[in-house]
Amino acid sequence: MKKLVKSLAGIALATSLALSVNAASLKIAYDSDPVSLDPHEQLSGGTLQMSHMTFDPVVRWGKDHGFEARLAEKWERIDDNTMRFHLRKGVKFHSGNILTANDVKWTFERLVSSPDFKAVFPAGTEVKVVNDQTFDLVTKAPYPLILNSATYIFPMDSKFYSGEDDKGRDKGLLKKHGDSFASRNQSGTGPYIITERQQGVKVQFERFADYWDKKSPGNVDEITLTPIKENATRVAALLSGGVDFIFPVPPNDHDRIERNSDTDLVTLTGTRVITLQLNQERVEAFKDKRVRQAIVHAINNEAIVKKIMKGFATAAGQQGPKGYAGFSEDLTPRYDLKKAKQLMKAAGFEKGFTISMMAPNNRYINDAKIAQAVAGMLRKINVTVDLKTMPKAQYWPSFDERAADIMMIGWHADTEDSANFTEYLTACADADSGWGQYNSGNYCNTAIDGLVKAAGKETDPAKRTEMLQQVERELYEDAAYVPLHWQNLAWGARKGVQAEDVVNVMNFPYLGDLVVSEK
Amino acid sequence: MLLFLFRRLMQGLVVMFVISLISFSIQDNLGDPLREMVGQSVSEAERQQLRDELGLNDPFLTQYGRFITKAVQGDLGTSYFFKEPALDVILGKMPATLELVFAATLIIIIISVPAGVYCAIRPNSMLTRAILGISILGISVPVFLTAIFSIYLFSIELGWLPSYGRGDQLVPLFARWETGFLTSDGLKHLVLPAVSLASIMLPLFIRLIRSEMVEALSTEYVKFAKAKGLTKTRVYFLHALKNTMLPVITVGGVQIGTMVAYTILTETVFQWPGMGFLFLEAVNRVDTPLIVAYLIVVGGVFVVVNTLVDLIYGLINPTVKLAGGNA
Amino acid sequence: MTDSTITHSRVADSSVDVAPSRWQRIRQSNIWYNFTRDKIAMVSASIFAVLFLAAMLSPLIAPTNPYDLSNIDIMDSEIAPAWNEEGDERFLLGTDAQGRDMFSTILYGARISITIGFLAVMLQAIIGIAIGLIAGYRGGRVDNFLMRVADIQLSFSTMMVAIVVLAVFQASFGTELYSQLAMWMLILVIGIAEWPQYARTIRASVLAEKNKEYVEAARVMGFGAGRIMFRHILPNCLSPILVISTVQIANAIISEAALSFLGLGMPVSEPSLGSLISSGFEYIFSGSWWITVIPGAVLVVLVLVINLLGDWLRDVLNPKIYKA
Repeated sequence: MKKLVKSLAGIALATSLALSVNAASLKIAYDSDPVSLDPHEQLSGGTLQMSHMTFDPVVRWGKDHGFEARLAEKWERIDDNTMRFHLRKGVKFHSGNILTANDVKWTFERLVSSPDFKAVFPAGTEVKVVNDQTFDLVTKAPYPLILNSATYIFPMDSKFYSGEDDKGRDKGLLKKHGDSFASRNQSGTGPYIITERQQGVKVQFERFADYWDKKSPGNVDEITLTPIKENATRVAALLSGGVDFIFPVPPNDHDRIERNSDTDLVTLTGTRVITLQLNQERVEAFKDKRVRQAIVHAINNEAIVKKIMKGFATAAGQQGPKGYAGFSEDLTPRYDLKKAKQLMKAAGFEKGFTISMMAPNNRYINDAKIAQAVAGMLRKINVTVDLKTMPKAQYWPSFDERAADIMMIGWHADTEDSANFTEYLTACADADSGWGQYNSGNYCNTAIDGLVKAAGKETDPAKRTEMLQQVERELYEDAAYVPLHWQNLAWGARKGVQAEDVVNVMNFPYLGDLVVSEK
Repeated sequence: MLLFLFRRLMQGLVVMFVISLISFSIQDNLGDPLREMVGQSVSEAERQQLRDELGLNDPFLTQYGRFITKAVQGDLGTSYFFKEPALDVILGKMPATLELVFAATLIIIIISVPAGVYCAIRPNSMLTRAILGISILGISVPVFLTAIFSIYLFSIELGWLPSYGRGDQLVPLFARWETGFLTSDGLKHLVLPAVSLASIMLPLFIRLIRSEMVEALSTEYVKFAKAKGLTKTRVYFLHALKNTMLPVITVGGVQIGTMVAYTILTETVFQWPGMGFLFLEAVNRVDTPLIVAYLIVVGGVFVVVNTLVDLIYGLINPTVKLAGGNA
Repeated sequence: MTDSTITHSRVADSSVDVAPSRWQRIRQSNIWYNFTRDKIAMVSASIFAVLFLAAMLSPLIAPTNPYDLSNIDIMDSEIAPAWNEEGDERFLLGTDAQGRDMFSTILYGARISITIGFLAVMLQAIIGIAIGLIAGYRGGRVDNFLMRVADIQLSFSTMMVAIVVLAVFQASFGTELYSQLAMWMLILVIGIAEWPQYARTIRASVLAEKNKEYVEAARVMGFGAGRIMFRHILPNCLSPILVISTVQIANAIISEAALSFLGLGMPVSEPSLGSLISSGFEYIFSGSWWITVIPGAVLVVLVLVINLLGDWLRDVLNPKIYKA
């Protein structure tokens, strides 16, 4: 009966909207819901997923790691430091206001004032308005990744966010904690408007009638997003037909969703790398390159991928995944127990030693199990590991203290670029510049840092690629850290939800373009 | 009676004060709230600045003093995640939890009383053995396994019942209380979580009623009543059961109170938007104001439940003096 | 001494409360007699003895030491039990996600779980019974104070207690010592966290008992409060204690698993019975049922026999129900 009512409602809506395909409603279950309606409050997957639904970026990532025109129709490089963007005409915000270059400027200035987002652009970057429809992104120095960064500009309705709210505060106020107008109200140009939100319980979206992209094949006019934290519950909700689309799907349940005749599994090779860092300041032996190499050789990350990740990851030999500038085909995983033992012997540690290791148990997919498997593998070269796993809330403070000899860290480059990995994970730690902030291994090689810095100013893609590949190669040979794998992404969808066409490795499905056919 | 209530109220305030002090002093051990609020690339210096803004770098007594001053005015702090007063957030979620506990209690009473009485009257029948056997099974299976198996069976394989949440057909009662008791959809959503929650306590109640009933049956006056030629039903339900109820209500009342704590797991598995689920999420997000407020509220719930239990106890058993006479 | 015991037995009609010198005789004549007559009790006791011994002697019985990482190989992970088509005869009950032999892991895990379960519940019971007796018997301010302390304790779930104890412990002893003492810490944490369950139950029973004639009589005889509480009232409150204890043992075993998740329990490389069952959450939709079902069955059987023994013991010990 409920289904009948629903499809009747669907038909009614479809006729009223005069879409070519029947309009549909969609129930989504993610592991979390957006923290705030403010797109600049927190740089997280949840915020970006929401931004792609209710706002629209200037440009966005395409499937092939290229760029797609969104609010900017076209763009061109004026000089080394300037990129010019031409906005589409007549794009309406949810409030009815028309998008202009001034909105982009307003948004950009707000973005770089956000502690979370400011690192996306190099310091000193500016937006210069040329006319209503045109603006320039100007950097202080040549910057090769300007388009990557531009995917983070989701123009906000500057008129809507101006003035004072009922508590007498600026509507544009960006506040990390506490109540602000922008954290509860929205006006973007995106395909959906939020009609109802109970934080932590559900978010209700409705399609924006005046959405600029009339060519979008999307036919979903209503979306309900429910956060379901527990993996098994989320999977159960999909299998029982309670929801139509879920993320993430834990590796253990892939089979089940694939085998089910009513559901599909969509997977993509991910870009988040999982690594281990060997703390050279805590353990003298880790200063010896041979010991580090021995550890890398002793860890069979292909077995981890096969057995623990159920094939749902790609074993890694470097930081950046395939498709990124620094990727080299020949830097492959190098498990070789015999060689590992030889290296330990050569370094004078044939009898091994005892070290401590920490890993989170609810941050990365199967994190604690991976850590356990690593401990088992290191035992084979006589390294005894005292392993401690804990929830992320307790793990991060321990990570900041560098509380164990080996720490696990996963990293996703916000810029979708190789240099970002080195900058945060393997560069010499420097509190002022923020480089090496997550380098708990204290590995430091100024030559590599120099290369990365140079690559940051190199606008010739070929030269840049060469530099970043050399960075990866040197880190590889030096065994600066232990690469484990890149996590894959997996979505589960009811049959008829054509999720494959809208998902991407960044994990913000373009739901505005999603086509759903009836059950 | 009034004096008793007044004293209890005062004690309740002291309890909440102590809880606030303890939870305040342990909050640093729960993790770093900033980590959950910022993206990965925010620098340590900026985190420190935010921490300053939040007043997290102030000395303990300053922070606690600030908290108490506001708490006296009914403000238990603002949740980092919800950006609303923590007390409002918790009270907003309380109806869902209370409905779940109420439904579970109902199930427990409806099943445990007849089952317990039967087991006491017919100690050797096959059914008794079956009931006791199953109830032991119930004790030994962890609640999340019961929950997940019932989801698997009733939602996925049979498709009878929804697997998560409260549904979207809630009927507003008053203020922020929306009830699921008035629509069939709301009731359907209630079944699995309530049964899972009840499954933890049900065996305990059956066994408790049984053992108390066995004792009551062996007392002189029951034997006397039997000898007087009263009908069996009358003896069992009027004489014996009435006396059984005394310890059952005291122990049971306490257990129902603790059930509020047990909801944490059940609510998490079923995505039930109540207080327990909220608490676990708050711990995961290191939302310390919310954690502190939750502990205080739960402490209050325990005090209220205990007061009620003692009141009922006093009413049923007139020999117990409420104001606590000197022994 | 003898004199007062006899007097008391007559007043309270109690057979448990006797001087040590008589213990032997009572056991022979009463409990033992009952035991040999009760088939269920005998079967339960023998199953319990087998499980208990197997767990305690696990290093001698188990084919491998599952806690020694050099013995396990990730390539052996999630192998089905030997009787299954995909099974491997090396592993009778299959292997877990890390490639540990399930049979050995269950034995070793049961040892941890049984030790923690029993000792933690014993600690709970000792604290809870003492506090409950005092609160119920003394009444008034003492009662109010103790029960409010119980309220505070109850609002801090086991998890919160655990986090605090861990922090204090690590600050004072360092991480290394921690892993060696993890089991004792767990016993302490679970023991401390859940005593109010006992205290309240006992208090309620004491309130019901303390105005009964036999207590009055004992008081008139001039016995001290301690003696009346422990020797006279306590034996009459046994049945709720036994009911709760069996529930609490199962609870403690599962709590231990939950605490392991917080990084407070046993090291992850030494899974207990409880953690094996808890991990069942992840395997529920995948095919590897044996990782959770077999340890789950062991736990159920264990709790079942404990319960049956508890029931039997109560029937024998409780003077009010005992019918010769």
